[in-house]
Amino acid sequence: MENAAIKKAIRIEPEDNVAVVVQDTAAGETLHCAELRIDAKTAVPLGHKVAITSITRGRPVVKYAVTIGLASCDIAEGEHVHSHNVEDITNRLCNEYERAFRAEKG
Amino acid sequence: MTKINAYRRLDGRVGIRNYILAISMVSCSNTVTERIAHATGTIPVVHEQGCTEFEHDHERTKLALISAGRNPNVGGVLLVGLGCEQTNMEEIRSAIAETGKPVETVLIQREGGSPQAEKRGVEHIRRIKAMVEAERRVPCPVGDLVVGVQCGGSDWTTALSANPVIGVMTDLVIANGGSVLMSEVAGFPGSEHIVAARAATRDVGLRVLDMISELREEYHSTYGQRIEEVNPTPGNKAGGITTLVEKSMGNIKKMGTSPVQGVLKLGEPVPHPGLWVIDNRAQGPDPFNLTGLAMEGAVVTAFSSGRGSPVGNAVMPTLKLTGNPETFEKLASITDFNAGTVIQGCSIPETGAALYAFLLEVANGRETKSEINGNFEYIIPRETARGTHGRCPLSS
Repeated sequence: MENAAIKKAIRIEPEDNVAVVVQDTAAGETLHCAELRIDAKTAVPLGHKVAITSITRGRPVVKYAVTIGLASCDIAEGEHVHSHNVEDITNRLCNEYERAFRAEKG
Repeated sequence: MTKINAYRRLDGRVGIRNYILAISMVSCSNTVTERIAHATGTIPVVHEQGCTEFEHDHERTKLALISAGRNPNVGGVLLVGLGCEQTNMEEIRSAIAETGKPVETVLIQREGGSPQAEKRGVEHIRRIKAMVEAERRVPCPVGDLVVGVQCGGSDWTTALSANPVIGVMTDLVIANGGSVLMSEVAGFPGSEHIVAARAATRDVGLRVLDMISELREEYHSTYGQRIEEVNPTPGNKAGGITTLVEKSMGNIKKMGTSPVQGVLKLGEPVPHPGLWVIDNRAQGPDPFNLTGLAMEGAVVTAFSSGRGSPVGNAVMPTLKLTGNPETFEKLASITDFNAGTVIQGCSIPETGAALYAFLLEVANGRETKSEINGNFEYIIPRETARGTHGRCPLSS
């Protein structure tokens, strides 16, 4: 077992560009995320997401290996990722997919 | 190929337990049923219904009672009735007896009262026991296992560690030829596009989309608000969930990555192995969903609970895991498996493989905490009447 003082984040799938921190994390602390070392640029509360790469505005935020939303501004590696910098496109994803799926020839 | 030691039933299906049930036909016969079960060390199935029900509700009662008796974990059954109830005991008896297991009946009015019915019931169960106890476990392929997946009493670890770990287990069960049943369809809206994209055929994809469209419509017409308007909830957001896709993926993660073979209504038999979605829309506490999985023939369910939950089922052991290491420590008496090791640094794939190994131990006879603690609930999932409901598919 690793030292309890080490701050950790969990990337659920290898494709994800965000990870979930497993303790309250302050700006400036280093997060261990599998083989990665991420310097938290902002505070990230327990259970919240941190960017493990930079995500350009308009690009997908990927968790569970699927798009959960789009970056609503440029997000730097180590930043807290939540409603303030993510656009919720659930409706678009579900509706557009459903329309396209139903339109396909059987 | 890995084998498990389990009970091969006469209908070909495989059970991992050899339970004997005392099933009450109507709430009026619940106490006698419970007393018989208590006196014989068997499992009572009691419920609040069985008379003066509208057809829609009564068909569900009937299906639930027949499905309990037919579950492959059950070796023999005693039916206990009053005598004048709506439930047709003979119909239920023959639907269970079709599977080849012993079924006996007792009626309180016919026996001359409760003590007499109790005495007769105990005699019946002694005879059933003698037959059932002669059954032996035999080597069976993992491919014969039907496994349910569920979560309840969730916390911040459920979608992070426990459910992804269940997803790995699901993939391993299916890779070994088995079946996994996922219900909780009320949690699908937001990721129905992901589930439909994994459908084995276009028709299955359409079934998934149709089911979720109908569900969305029902919510909207009942409550006047769309699911997206109330989700994620303020509590979800405070906990770090940003979008509905993210929230519903936490649920979907239990399904792993295998293709979805189809959508089954309660009572429709599982046609072939693989990953199946069970269209159980009953809104209520966790035992609703758990009983729905047992009704579909699941012989064990992997159930994740971040906060901890004791629930079990009358016909099916419930393998309880938590993604929260603190919960595992605090609630070890009701929790079988610690997936909280993921939080402490273990990988999701290795923890999922360990859960699969644990599942096979349970299949081979290792008792779950739900069984040790006597959690043998059987709570019939009730759905709102809607035009599409047919008659109980298991009775003639």
